Amino acid sequence: MLRVENLHLAYGRVTALRGVSLAVEPGAMVSIIGPNGAGKTSLLGAIAGDVAAQSGRILFDGAELRGLPSDAIVRRGIALVPEGRHIFASLTVRENLTLGATIRADRAAARADIDRFLSIFPILRERAGQPAGRLSGGEQQQLAIARALLARPRLLMLDEPSLGLAPKIIDQVYDYLAEVRREGVAVLVVEQNAGRALAASDSIHVLNGGTVRLSGSGAEVMQHAGFDSAYFGVAL
Amino acid sequence: MMRAARRWLPLALLLLVVLAVAALAAVSPEVVRRRMVLALVDLVAVVGLYVFAGNSGVLPFGHAGFMAIGAYTSGLLTIPAPMKAMFLPALWPWLQQTQWPAWAGPPAGGVVAALAALIVGPPLMGLSGISASIATFALLVIVYTVVGNWSDVTGGQQSLMGLPLSTSLAPALVWACVALVVAYAYQESRSALALRASREDEAAARATGVHVRRERLVAFVLSALLSGIAGALLGHLAGTLRADSFYIDLTFLIVAMLVIGGMRSLTGAVLGTLSIALVTELLRLAEAGVPVAGTLLRAPAGLGDALLALAMLLVLLFRPSGLSGGRELGG
Amino acid sequence: MQIIADAIALGGLYALTALGIGLIFGVMRLINFAHGDLIAASGYSLLIAAGRPVLAAVVLALLAAVVLALGTERLAFRPLRRADPASLLIASFAVSVFLEKLLIVFVDSRPKGVDFLPGLAAPVELFGVRLQQLQVVTIAVSAALLAGMTWLLRFTRIGLEMRAAAENFRMARLLGVRANRVIAAAFALSGVLAAAVTVLFVAQTGVVAPRMGLTLVVIAFVSTVIGGLGSLPGAALGGMLVGSTSMLLQAFLPDELRPFREAFVFLAVIVVLLFRPQGLLAARGLRERV
Repeated sequence: MLRVENLHLAYGRVTALRGVSLAVEPGAMVSIIGPNGAGKTSLLGAIAGDVAAQSGRILFDGAELRGLPSDAIVRRGIALVPEGRHIFASLTVRENLTLGATIRADRAAARADIDRFLSIFPILRERAGQPAGRLSGGEQQQLAIARALLARPRLLMLDEPSLGLAPKIIDQVYDYLAEVRREGVAVLVVEQNAGRALAASDSIHVLNGGTVRLSGSGAEVMQHAGFDSAYFGVAL
Repeated sequence: MMRAARRWLPLALLLLVVLAVAALAAVSPEVVRRRMVLALVDLVAVVGLYVFAGNSGVLPFGHAGFMAIGAYTSGLLTIPAPMKAMFLPALWPWLQQTQWPAWAGPPAGGVVAALAALIVGPPLMGLSGISASIATFALLVIVYTVVGNWSDVTGGQQSLMGLPLSTSLAPALVWACVALVVAYAYQESRSALALRASREDEAAARATGVHVRRERLVAFVLSALLSGIAGALLGHLAGTLRADSFYIDLTFLIVAMLVIGGMRSLTGAVLGTLSIALVTELLRLAEAGVPVAGTLLRAPAGLGDALLALAMLLVLLFRPSGLSGGRELGG
Repeated sequence: MQIIADAIALGGLYALTALGIGLIFGVMRLINFAHGDLIAASGYSLLIAAGRPVLAAVVLALLAAVVLALGTERLAFRPLRRADPASLLIASFAVSVFLEKLLIVFVDSRPKGVDFLPGLAAPVELFGVRLQQLQVVTIAVSAALLAGMTWLLRFTRIGLEMRAAAENFRMARLLGVRANRVIAAAFALSGVLAAAVTVLFVAQTGVVAPRMGLTLVVIAFVSTVIGGLGSLPGAALGGMLVGSTSMLLQAFLPDELRPFREAFVFLAVIVVLLFRPQGLLAARGLRERV
């Protein structure tokens, strides 16, 4: 479904990605792990159209995405939950959710979906009329995921969804992601710490220094003799 | 020896350019010479703006106010006492009776403008980016309002007349050269280097021990000094002062000259001033009318300024670092 | 009482102007100097429409401001959208000078008298107070427009998108908010506000000039800073505050200081920037280096 081929991205003289390739199939869960500064956020940003890659291909259902603005890419069916969540703090919880559905023409169905999410996440329903800035970190993460899903994406991308959350909340988030997958949505998740992502994923890529150092299933990657050097970049 | 020579090469080249302009002016007819003198005065003002904007990265909108301070200071000190008694009867007696030689006006104007900058500067220098631009703009409006309404001292809405017409080619050339030397010497100083480091990354510069506020203040005061001199020279070129001449239009002109030339290098300041002076002059000729095949083709008034604004927009769109690209001549 | 009415009327005018500037700043971090030229352009269209029915004149003024606002967005500000705020500021300065000088090319720089809605100068008794009809109209129109803007921002899809874009433009785009559409809508709205200000202002002064918008914009600009750059209620509040303060200064300042009242207002701006750089009502999510 998504194919990234030989992607290069630089900010001025600083190179973030040097030839990254990977693929995500429908309903699959793919994790990208790697240390700080490995290029993980840049990769998701490039796919979502938030930052521009200089060369390479980003194919979604065979169509090139590179060069499209982010507001067009989400219409193709790719939603991003960025690092730090970026909920709109001054808008209410319900308004945040409404914005998630802003690309949809089926207003009535979108409203029904919003109500469905509010019943899935009771805390959000309680606070539907309050500014989202008052939610706790975990609640904001739930809101950000729900907001992204309201666009009805076929690929959901999450940047460090467990950052700053308590272990119990992280479990809830991953449990929910498993549910999302059952509805046929593919998930591409970036984590700095392998932890929870490893167990949940079909395949894992270790990104370091702007390239994929190691790929495989969770167990393969963790047991691979080269894991430490791939992750920590010792063998650079 | 060679390294020192290389280091000062850009300044030498720029001085040569200014000398060439002056030489050209010396052999030109009276009307054209006056325009070229005006260009040299503008150069002092633009270099003044550059000293702060170029090194700090903050674009101030208040320098026309410092020019006003310099111009009125110089005017009040040099206008013949009897004329002051006539036009400004309520002026303090000691100032009314003061009558300095005309040459002393510009430095005095510069010093008073620099003092003003020293007074208002310390709180303002903590601001960055857009809020610094806004605060300096507020400063401009305050100076404009005070100058335009302080009738006892400035003549208020009336023009202040009787400034000696002392800005001829020679003083304009001397001051232009002084401005270039001061700006370049400052730019090569340790203080300016630290300030430019803060321009690229304020937090990082602070972390390495750069006292951003203090270095900014140094540049601000120096830049006000040059602006005050430029304002005074402008006053002694026109002979009369009006509050309106030191407001939005002048601000726009000097900002446009610097932005079009490129605000990151002294070469940019010179290049911007001279090229806009040239284009403005050509457009002025067009507005006066060009005889073509027996008829007088005349461009409508105001077109020149409109094109200037358009040029500035095009530079912002297609060459954001200005004509000079932020580089120094020979550097 | 008369003073209070004056203060509210002037404050309303400033609030409308400030809101027009605040809208644009909110969605693209641009301080739009050219807003004053929207006012001037629609002022001249009132002049052109002199003698026509009032409604036709108002529609023409509206059209002029909106078309011009959209034109500047499309031709100048859209290509510069990724530029830093300082370049945008310079660009808007350039656009403003360009439009003003262009206007001078066509109509020359002298102010012209317009006899627009002269009937409104008549006095009217309201709650036992004699007020100018025009004041009442100004207050009513300002209140209606502020209410209308509030409704639009709060309860419509495009309003929600604008508020989201004002808080975090990148995130709004990632959710599919169309940048071009939201920004164009903001410019169109600022045009509507500019035209409303023009109609009220020209009815009051009876004069149009290429620079008629300058003072209004400079003051509105200050109002948005005082109210909090990026906060729309802040802009309206700031306008109200600056308008009424300057009326009160006018009324109560000793005679010899009265001409300097603007200097006091701008001094207040600097003080606000120094001590409360986020303004009286801080905008959330405004991560620009203000």
